[in-house]
Amino acid sequence: MSKQINVALIGNPNTGKTSVFNALTGLNQKVGNYPGITVEKKEGICKLPRGVKAHIIDLPGTYSLNASSLDENVVIELLLNKNDKDFPDVAVVVSDVENLKRNLLLFTQIKDLEIPAILVINMADRMRYKGISLDIPHLEEQLNTKIALVSTRKKNGIVELKELISNYKDLSTTPCMNASEIDREYFDNLRKAFPNQLLYKLWLVITQDVNFGKTDRNEIDAVANFKTKTKADLKRLQQKETIKRYQFINNTLKKGQTIDLNTAKDLRIKLDRILTHKVWGYVIFFVILLTIFQAIYDWSSVPMDFIDSSFVSLSEWTKNGLPEGAFTSLLAEGIIPGLGGIVIFIPQIAFLFLFISVLEESGYMSRVVFLMDRGMRRFGLSGKSIVPLISGTACAIPAIMATRNIENWKERLITILVTPFTTCSARLPVYLIIISLVIPEGRFLGLGYQAMTLMLLYLIGFGAALVSAMILNKILKIKSKTFFVVEMPNYKLPLFKNVVLTVIEKTKAFVFGAGKIILAISIILWFLASYGPGDDFNKAEEIISTEYANQNLTEDEVNEHVASYKLEHSFLGITGRAIEPAIRPLGYDWKIGIALVSSFAAREVFVGTLATIYSVGSDDEETIKNRMAGEVNPILGGPLFTFASGISLLLFYAFAMQCMSTLAIVQRETNSWKWPILQLVIMSGFAYLIALIAFQLLK
Amino acid sequence: MNEIIQTILVFIALGLAVSFMIKKFSWKKPKTKKAFSDAHDCDKCH
Ligand SMILES: Nc1nc2c(ncn2[C@@H]2O[C@H](COP(=O)(O)OP(=O)(O)OP(=O)(O)O)[C@@H](O)[C@H]2O)c(=O)[nH]1
Ligand SMILES: [Mg+2]
Repeated sequence: MSKQINVALIGNPNTGKTSVFNALTGLNQKVGNYPGITVEKKEGICKLPRGVKAHIIDLPGTYSLNASSLDENVVIELLLNKNDKDFPDVAVVVSDVENLKRNLLLFTQIKDLEIPAILVINMADRMRYKGISLDIPHLEEQLNTKIALVSTRKKNGIVELKELISNYKDLSTTPCMNASEIDREYFDNLRKAFPNQLLYKLWLVITQDVNFGKTDRNEIDAVANFKTKTKADLKRLQQKETIKRYQFINNTLKKGQTIDLNTAKDLRIKLDRILTHKVWGYVIFFVILLTIFQAIYDWSSVPMDFIDSSFVSLSEWTKNGLPEGAFTSLLAEGIIPGLGGIVIFIPQIAFLFLFISVLEESGYMSRVVFLMDRGMRRFGLSGKSIVPLISGTACAIPAIMATRNIENWKERLITILVTPFTTCSARLPVYLIIISLVIPEGRFLGLGYQAMTLMLLYLIGFGAALVSAMILNKILKIKSKTFFVVEMPNYKLPLFKNVVLTVIEKTKAFVFGAGKIILAISIILWFLASYGPGDDFNKAEEIISTEYANQNLTEDEVNEHVASYKLEHSFLGITGRAIEPAIRPLGYDWKIGIALVSSFAAREVFVGTLATIYSVGSDDEETIKNRMAGEVNPILGGPLFTFASGISLLLFYAFAMQCMSTLAIVQRETNSWKWPILQLVIMSGFAYLIALIAFQLLK
Repeated sequence: MNEIIQTILVFIALGLAVSFMIKKFSWKKPKTKKAFSDAHDCDKCH
């Protein structure tokens, strides 16, 4: 038989579906210890015993088949559509042994759709700590299924699960509950109107349209002899269904599960009492943040300097080792400094991802959600918005996709609109280099001023997000109501492998993603900076030698003057000076202006762009930092990067909407150009204003 | 001679760079990703 078996992984959020998916397929999809990590369908292949292959689909978590958010709807639409190419031959319902009761609700629903279903009880390693024991044969009998007791962490039960999947034909499809018990009369009518259809599926289709207004399904109404009920009545029936299901589950678990509270070590309650405390909770959060930023500084300065000087040597070596010519200078003055401007940030980026990943995996991030929930509501956001806001510290794009689990459209829209204020990893390089130039190195109570400035910038970004959310909440006229409870996952020791993988993956994505762009940009910039129109550019040597004829300059000094004169009159210099009037009030020169424009492609190319421009415009080799420190303000004299211009630049980057990819994602998620364009105009306009005020006040 | 080769190389590099940037930022609707390709969630960020 050559046909692959379609296997869908379904389950409540945070039960370990993606961990099971990774264990089955050998892939490395993102796993994290809070609900709502997976928001899209992901696919992979798994080899089963006897040469059979399975096509595994990882799905977003859903609490029940009565979906109310976009990501949950993915699951229901798949299960209701037999013609979907991914329609599962067998559903693997993943549950978490600590929340079995709640998890079984979904399982019974899937069973009632008469899809062959296997129950995976995951996190079996936790049973010992929680004093849980299970009577598996009893559960299998009651639920009419096969159960795999799995721990993806200890790699237990995966072989058994594969075996069960390959024998999926033996699974019983008897439902757990008779759907007509919900309301006999109504279901009798349903059966008469649609004699050939599965009753429970009909019921789901109907309720789905009630819960989720976007399904475009009117066939039910179209059948004239069937009178459907009012929305309120249907909602009431849904509640009745849930109660019936829990009765069934309680009965099943009464004998199938025993919990010995004496052996349960409840570290969780004790920890939660401190970590979500009204005062201490915030203090601890604050201390953790400070530690992170201090560590980013302390741990990465050595590797950073090392990389910086290695690139200088590489550049020198290229220049001296290769035959002289245009391509050699493209390499030595364009590409190598440009790439260097990205690579020197690898240590910091890796540390940042390391901390984020540990906080996520340990379950602490969800406590932060809880801590903030009360405050967030005041700003028109729900507790769920904090997940995008926090994961936005890595990158706004996955963060904006993560908003799909916010049911309420208004809250979702607001979250999408304000998330780009969160300090993403692409801003980090700009912050780090500018801070190291303009903020003194001293310490106060063991905390560096530089680290504190960095933290302040993160807080400013977060504050900007909250304030704009509050304003949007007032302005946007969208009716909506909220009903959200934060689900608290359990504390877990972060899995070393998961943490390392996340750090490597994200750092790789950062370096290669940004690397490709800076490579292209540095080539283009080098070209524009090395060629120019007219006599000014082409006769630079003559012009300089006549100008300085009576000054007795050394040959080196002459070359230096020629290089910078050429740069000023190159294509790039001409463009730069055309935009200079717009940015001079902020304290920037035309070179920074070019870097600002090129960082619309991606913020992190700012430093690489400057490195390329400076390197074309000068004759000797220097590290990026020293070059920036040595730049002179063309108008005022003195260093270009002063406290005033530095702060102005930092604030500009904190607020400006400088990321085309984010705009594209916002367009996709809101399905309209209105929002991304507004975002661009308002954020960047505001950034300009603030940077202007800052420079004018501080200069 | 050498100079001509170097110039040709420069223009090839320039052509590649420009076409890369155009491809990257011409707005096409991103397709849903599959885990088959080892595309990372953060792939579109840069
Ligand atoms: N102790 C323990 N933890 C596990 C096990 N399997 C997964 N986890 C942890 O559970 C958390 C959630 O795992 P995920 O695989 O992301 O869960 P998911 O169901 O895909 O979550 P969503 O995509 O958000 O719905 C992670 O922190 C995992 O490390 C297990 O067998 N034992
Ligand atoms: Mg998942």
